[in-house]
Amino acid sequence: MGEIGRLSQLIIPFFGHDITINLKVVAMTWLVFGLLIVLGLFARYKRNIFPRPVQALGELIVSLLYDLTEDALGKELAKKYAPLVCALFMFLLLSNWLGIIPHLEEPTRDLNTTFGLGLIGFFLAHYAGIKTKGFKAYSKEYFQPIFFMMPLNLIGELAKIVSISFRLFGNILGGSIIILVVSYLTLNLVLPPFLYAFFGLFVGTIQAFVFTMLTVVYISVQVK
Amino acid sequence: MGFEVETIIKIAAYSGGGIAMGLGAIGAAAGQGYTAAKANLAVSRNPKISGDIFKNMLVGQAVAESASIFALVITILLLFVSPPNPSLLDAAAYLGAGLCMGFGAIGSGIGAGNPGGEACFGLSRQPQAGSQLTTNMLIGSAVCQTPAIFAMVVALMLIFIKFGGAALTPTWAALVGAGLSTGLAAIGSGYGGGLAAGASCEGIARTPQSVTSVTTLMLIGQAVAQTPSIFGLLISFILMFKSFPESSLLMTPMALLGAGLCMGLGGIGPGIGNGMAAEGAVRWVARNVEHTSDLMRIMLVGQAVSQSTAIYSMVISLVLIFVV
Repeated sequence: MGEIGRLSQLIIPFFGHDITINLKVVAMTWLVFGLLIVLGLFARYKRNIFPRPVQALGELIVSLLYDLTEDALGKELAKKYAPLVCALFMFLLLSNWLGIIPHLEEPTRDLNTTFGLGLIGFFLAHYAGIKTKGFKAYSKEYFQPIFFMMPLNLIGELAKIVSISFRLFGNILGGSIIILVVSYLTLNLVLPPFLYAFFGLFVGTIQAFVFTMLTVVYISVQVK
Repeated sequence: MGFEVETIIKIAAYSGGGIAMGLGAIGAAAGQGYTAAKANLAVSRNPKISGDIFKNMLVGQAVAESASIFALVITILLLFVSPPNPSLLDAAAYLGAGLCMGFGAIGSGIGAGNPGGEACFGLSRQPQAGSQLTTNMLIGSAVCQTPAIFAMVVALMLIFIKFGGAALTPTWAALVGAGLSTGLAAIGSGYGGGLAAGASCEGIARTPQSVTSVTTLMLIGQAVAQTPSIFGLLISFILMFKSFPESSLLMTPMALLGAGLCMGLGGIGPGIGNGMAAEGAVRWVARNVEHTSDLMRIMLVGQAVSQSTAIYSMVISLVLIFVV
């Protein structure tokens, strides 16, 4: 069971005291960046009023996510935040799907990646809140509905980062552990493709969508 | 006792794995059954869209299954784990990990069946709101998995962190207590989150145009309902990472075990109660969108009051850890 031993190294660096750079995660993240940029360039290549397939795909994705942001944030703010929402969703989707290719692994399997994305969403939401409401109204929120609720509100806000990042991390890691063990036990026959389809494509898509939606909702809660 | 250390570790790991998967199978199965029952009700009400309802039911059940899948992951790890420097503390940690994941999967599994069922039923009432219902169902049931994920994270930490250097006598109780604290506290929060998510699906089916306020209120309600499980997580972290001096008294380990049990059991009620408050608020927002802020204020105050019992448990746990 050598593979299980290797898993422990993937989990532990978060608690190590040395500065640990997980080279494979960084490489995979850059790979996803590269794929996204290539996809973007292809979608833009020879733009036309009659879209070619890749352009149509790009327009479809962007317009879907744009509408989603507009529903939650309203027309004015959607202009500002929709590009970020599109980028976040595409990054997460490609990251979660990356694991179905042999020898590649999902960057989202590492807690550092998801925690970083969670922090981005958190600071963005609070920045948006301060910007639209002003600092006074923003800080007053913490003393709602009664002043002694302040510590609870504070814990609630911080818990959002923990829950959003652990959820993505836990789902992706759990799926990959199951795939690894089942592949080992069945000698890579029959079952793994179905597991890849379920955990990689299905769970990966749902979790990418949930993460993106929650980030949008956190922003909209702060703005309103 | 006459057992070698390796044997005791194996016993603990196997029984921990059995507990994790056995208890972890309860919740998701019950939740999925509820989803299927509601789907049948929905089909008999509106047989024309039985295909859509069936698809929605399968997706809802697949998401509700994740709590059990987490338990499966922990069980598999426990069955194959072999520590490099075996010590008796590993045995306690494995037992704690099994208890943590087993209990932690119950609430989220039952809870996640709620949004699935209500979304199927809502589909039969309001077929044109299908995409909103499915989206809301997915978000709601994914968020009510959070307590189970906390349990999985604690279980993974118990399995993979090396506790070898710590003093055996009180630390074994601290590790088992850490598992119990997060695991038991996750039951209430998971179930409560499911109640809120189910109510939001029902509300959207009733008034599709209220979807934005309903989803937002659902997420806020679920976040507050998750606070007891976060208290449980906090106590677990303290129990795992505080180093305890060696002691030969029986009192110290019992106090630490008691701290874990106190926080865990004390977190169940507030989690369910907060979920009920959120359920009520979300359900009535759908019928009365213009009074969202009043409903939200009352929900938050009600949740704060029902949460006070979880805070009592946390205080007692802290006293047991730091004073006794």
